[in-house]
Amino acid sequence: MTSAIQPSGGGGVSRGGGSSSDLAEVVGTILDKGIVIDAHVSVGIVGIKLLTIDARVVVASVDTYLRFAEATNRLDLTSSQGKGLPEIVQGPKGALMEKAGDVLGELVGGESRERAPRRRRREED
Amino acid sequence: MAEATGVGYFIYGVVPSDVEPTEDARGLGDPAAPVTVVTHGEVAALVSEIGLDRPLGRPDDLVAYKQLLDGTAVEAPVLPIRFGTVLESRDAVTELLSAAHDDYLAALNELDGRVEYVVRGRYVEQAVLTEVLAENPEAEELRQQLRGAPENSSMDLRMRLGELINEGVEARRAADTDRLVDALTAVSVASVLRPPTHEQDAAHAAFLVETERRAEFEEAVERLADDEWSGRVNVKMLGPLAPYDFAARPQPQG
Repeated sequence: MTSAIQPSGGGGVSRGGGSSSDLAEVVGTILDKGIVIDAHVSVGIVGIKLLTIDARVVVASVDTYLRFAEATNRLDLTSSQGKGLPEIVQGPKGALMEKAGDVLGELVGGESRERAPRRRRREED
Repeated sequence: MAEATGVGYFIYGVVPSDVEPTEDARGLGDPAAPVTVVTHGEVAALVSEIGLDRPLGRPDDLVAYKQLLDGTAVEAPVLPIRFGTVLESRDAVTELLSAAHDDYLAALNELDGRVEYVVRGRYVEQAVLTEVLAENPEAEELRQQLRGAPENSSMDLRMRLGELINEGVEARRAADTDRLVDALTAVSVASVLRPPTHEQDAAHAAFLVETERRAEFEEAVERLADDEWSGRVNVKMLGPLAPYDFAARPQPQG
């Protein structure tokens, strides 16, 4: 039933589609889509239990800020002046950043970070 | 609501009444149930029998639902019905079709010869951070200040830096979303923005595309990805898909 998509020569686009079975893509594509038939329209609707389906919703939060700050600290702008970024990032500093990541993970509650975006927003300084 | 026992009819979508599923078309369930049609007037519903003794929404269920609809969409117009809609009998399906027959038919006519694509851009982290820092002196100063600082100190400064970066990324996302839609307006019929799925998303939108112009559309996406966005935004294109984002009310582009 599904049509095959031929990967093209162009390198910049990755593809998925009819045959994609990447679950995150599937959920993201169909969740909360399609026509809703409610019980007022049809008496024949069966109330069947739906398993909880998660989709990531992006709400800027403390966690987002900390992740961005961490990523920015990993960044080394010498790359904009020339070469040499990979060596620097992978140097002794790499180990430090990993450790920082662990600390941040503890602070913001580990793996639930992305699934449970919190709405706390930081007050302006 | 009817009581959930026995067998129900899972409804995937609505199609014109001249559409017939192939014999090997399968839907949800284990083993996957054959897909049949319930016809009323000029429209028909794609359905399959489903046991009501188990909850819906396992990965296989979602994939089967989407594959059936996407596979149908490249052959015929189809209106996806929200995942998880189950009716108690074929008669109830008929009733549903008769209640909205004309609306379904009008929507199907609108979607005839059209499919959906979803395009998502994701920033190359280093590129977008470099861009944001280059135009925000305060963020750049904070970055310098924090370099080499003990990682669990100066939490306030880290938060402030992250907040500034986030603002910069959000502004870029708005601009790049406009850019994506601009680049594809000429090769699509309509577009709908989708919310970002990740904090480093550059753009996320669904496009309704004439089947005959699919190649043109795909080339336009590739051009954007290979030229302007090369090295700063990675592009993912999903499709052709059933018109999930255009089923409720297809809106022509203004």
